[in-house]
Order: sequence, then C-alpha cells, then structure tokens
Amino acid sequence: MSFLKIDKINVYYGDIQVIFNLSLTVEKGEVVSIVGGNGAGKSTLLRTISGLLFPTSGQISFENQKINSKQPEKIVDYGIIHVPEGRKLFSLMTVKENLIIGAYNKRAETKIAETIDNVYQLFPRLKERENQLAMTLSGGEQQMAAIGRGIMAHPKILMLDEPSLGLAPILMKDIFAAIRKIADLGTTVLLVEQDVKNSLSLSDRAYVLEHGQVVMEGSGKELLKNPHIKEAYLGM
Amino acid sequence: MTKEKINKTALILFLFIAFTIPLFVRSATYLHILILLYFYAYLTTSWNLVGGFAGVLPLGHSVFVGIGAYTSTILSLQYGISPWIGMIAGAFIALILGVIIALPTLKMRGAYFALATIAFGEGIRVMVENINNIGPLNINGPRGIQIPPTNTGFFNFMFAGKEPYYYIILIMLILVLTLTFLISRSKLGYYLNAGGEEPEAAMALGINVAKARLTAMAISSFLTALAGTFYAQFTLYIHPKSVFSLDLSFEIAFIALIGGRGSVAGPIIGALLLRPVSDLSRIYFGSHLPGLHLIIFGAVLILVMLYQPRGLQEPLSRIYNRIIEKKILKTDK
Repeated sequence: MSFLKIDKINVYYGDIQVIFNLSLTVEKGEVVSIVGGNGAGKSTLLRTISGLLFPTSGQISFENQKINSKQPEKIVDYGIIHVPEGRKLFSLMTVKENLIIGAYNKRAETKIAETIDNVYQLFPRLKERENQLAMTLSGGEQQMAAIGRGIMAHPKILMLDEPSLGLAPILMKDIFAAIRKIADLGTTVLLVEQDVKNSLSLSDRAYVLEHGQVVMEGSGKELLKNPHIKEAYLGM
Repeated sequence: MTKEKINKTALILFLFIAFTIPLFVRSATYLHILILLYFYAYLTTSWNLVGGFAGVLPLGHSVFVGIGAYTSTILSLQYGISPWIGMIAGAFIALILGVIIALPTLKMRGAYFALATIAFGEGIRVMVENINNIGPLNINGPRGIQIPPTNTGFFNFMFAGKEPYYYIILIMLILVLTLTFLISRSKLGYYLNAGGEEPEAAMALGINVAKARLTAMAISSFLTALAGTFYAQFTLYIHPKSVFSLDLSFEIAFIALIGGRGSVAGPIIGALLLRPVSDLSRIYFGSHLPGLHLIIFGAVLILVMLYQPRGLQEPLSRIYNRIIEKKILKTDK
C-alpha cells in the first residue's frame, strides 16, 4: 500500500478543468518531484492534496485513509504540510513567530522548542535572524523561513511548491541541499519545481506533468537522460 | 532602570492620572468630553479585534452599539430589569447577530466585506426606524426612547453627576484594553494576524482562518454592545440616528485608522487626537460651521494614510522608545 496515493482525480477552477484523470503515488521516505512547465497543473495538484481545492472525482488517500474533500486543517492533522509558492511569510511577525505559528497543531505543539532547534540546525541563518521581522529577510532567507515553518508542523510528508522561485543560483543550491537533508532525516518530500535539472537530480522518483496529465514517470536519473526531457526542459 | 520598569512606571502614572482627573476637573463639560473620549476609545478597541487584528474593515459596528442600547433600555423601562443585566443580555444578542452577519460576509475580501457590513448596518437601522413594536417590545420607531431620570443609583445604572459614569467607562476601557492585549499575545491573535495577511499560507499550515475570524467577530460584537448600554444610560436618550448610525461606525473606523489599526495603543491615540477636535469644533464652531470636525478628520486621515499608513502609533512609539533609550544611556553613563 502506498503512503500517499492519488487515484484518477479531476480538478476544475470553475468551468475550466486543470487536472485530468491524474494518478500518482509517493512512498514513505522518498523524494518525489513533479516537474512541468507553466500551467501544467503542478501547484493545483498540491493545493488539491492540502485541501485548499477539492477534486470533482477520484480519490486521494494517505496511509490508507481517504483524505480528499477534507478541510485543510484536518489534512494538516494527518501530517501533510504544504509550503505554498512564493513563501507567503507573515511579514510583520518575527522569524521566530513565523516558525512557532507553523507548529500550532496537535502533533507539533508540545515539541516546539525541540523542533525549532532542528530548524536552526538546518538553516543556521534563521537563528541569526530570529528576532527580525520576516519582511526584512532576503529572498533566500525567506524561503528558508517558509520551509522551516513547514518543518515546524512535524510533517510526515512535506510538499514544497517551487522553493527555488526567484532565487540566485547559489542560493538555489543551498535550498536543494537542505531539501535533500530533510528527506535524509526521514521526512517524505513531494517537490514541485520548474528547475528540472536540480530537482530531478535530488529526487528518487519524478513525474512529468503536461496539461494536467502525467506524461512520464521514472527515477530522477532515468528522466534526466530521457531525450524528450532533455529537449523540452533542459534545452539540450 | 530597565526598559520594562520604565514602561511599568509610565503605565502606573497614566492610570493614576486617569483615576484622579475628576478630582481636578470639576467642569461637567470637560468631564463629558473625557467620558466620550473613553467611550470611543472603548468602541474602537473592540472594533480593532476584527478591523485591526483580522485585517478586514467592518463598517457596521454601530449596529452592536444600538443592540446593546436598545436591549438594556427596553428591558429596564418595560420590565424593570436592571440595565446591568440588560447590558449582558444585549451583549449576547449582539454576539449572535455578529455571528449571523459574519458567516456570509467574512469570506469576502477587502472592500466587499466593508460594503456588506455597511449594508447590514444600514438595513438594521432602517428597520428599527420603521418598527414601532416587536410583539410586546416597544421600540418606538424613529422617535427613539427616552429614559426618565428618576431613579438614580448603582442598581439602575443612573447617576446625578458625571463622575460615576467617568469611572465606569474608564474601568470598562482598561478591561477591554487588557483583553485585547492578551488576545494579541495569544494563539487567536496569531491566527488572526496570519489569516489577515496570507490566508492561504495560514490555511496550509492548518489554521482555520474562518473560525478565528468568527471568534473575533463574536467577541468584538459582544464587547461593542456593552458600550451601547453605557451610552444609553449616560445620555438617557437613544434613537436610531444616534446609536445605529453610519456616522458612528465611520467614526470608529476613522479613529482606528488614524491611531493605528491592529495595535493595542492605536485606538487610544486615535481617540485622544480626534475626540477633542470633534467636541471642541462642535462647541466653538457648531453654530456657523457645523460638521467642521468631519472635514478635519478627513484631512487628517488623508495625511496619515499618505505618510504613516500604519497609523500614528508607529512614529509615536518610535519616539517614545528613543526617549527612553536615551534616558537609559544617560543613566548608564
């Protein structure tokens, strides 16, 4: 049985269908990437898993429990944490407050002090900035804080939406390294990225999404060598 | 001396001044102005829970003032129930109404929420103006209700002098300020703040934004209605145009926006600045320039929004902190 299983879901924004009959699975401990161009439905997929959108048909199950059409706070209780695109920090709160607010759920609340130390170990920069307002951070630091806020919730599966968005290449490397580290420490990661090369090289498996459908799947290394991927996404 | 100690001393000094003012200010006029100042600071602080912390702009809060005023007045005049009890009853009715208003409207964003609350507020005012009786309850339509000043005493919430009113509203204000301070430091405060700024991120973290806002609206309408009863007992005459009016809702929002919404001190600063302007312009220019205070409010609001969009509390607290730090530095040297 799969850890997270998505079975033939269809998702609409009003009348417009964005995801068509999509199925995928994530196993425990894996890093799975979902890559694809703009408008492929990557973010929509994450928003559907986290309960911000509901599928019109199909089923999403997590640890053998049906979770589709549950409210977002319920889904967080199951241990599925979504770090949305564009960081979305609470800009007038300090870094530390942003982290603490990530831990306001039943599983994480008792362990705040411990988790915060883990986050600071992963991102020492956040420790230096802990009392600064989130709005004063640089883009890379904001992304660290957003990922850290997700970790604070003690995720069983952490879903990251475009963590490399708008970052300088050198910072992107740090972020990807941190994601690998999070996975190695035992958290399953579902990563949505436009940076195909970096995300495929750190993932165990990946799905390629085009027009709301899975067009290809395989291990990260396999896909990197695939001629279609090379031509369409890597420009080679 | 540490900064916290200075803050504490300043707070105690403020409280001391507030509690001793009636011993020096014997003029009923000035006491009246101060009472209204506290009354508006109280209303704005209650409003701030929704309008400030939750980041939406409700513009119909006078409805809750009206509900509080009418409930306690009708209960005391027709059934002989003490206004103190009517005050609580009115607050609970306002709470229920607040939730009813909030359920469909709190999902709206920005201006739509503001417009929807205006619509609710005005709708209820028009209803009150056009209804004489609800069953046995005599609302008296647009003529309003006069409270005969016969039985003074604490039980009847009616006093001959202004001083008791002064202390009642002062204590109410201190309590509501303490409450909002505690809420701003509580989980609910963080939920509201997070949901106000990035609702989607907050939801993705498992925060039930809608529930937090609903809770804030319930508390806010409850507290606002308490002040309605105070107003009724203080002025002894209520009518739809005074307690249900849009002007009242707007004045609350004015005070909050100019003082600084979302901060605990904002409503106090706003009321300290705007209420004297309003009252003094009415006293000195009321005969030939009525409504002058609204022009001044508008001008001040434009200036504040242009140069201090987070309200006057921000520069003022910066100045306060600088003065204290300089003082500490001095004592250190």
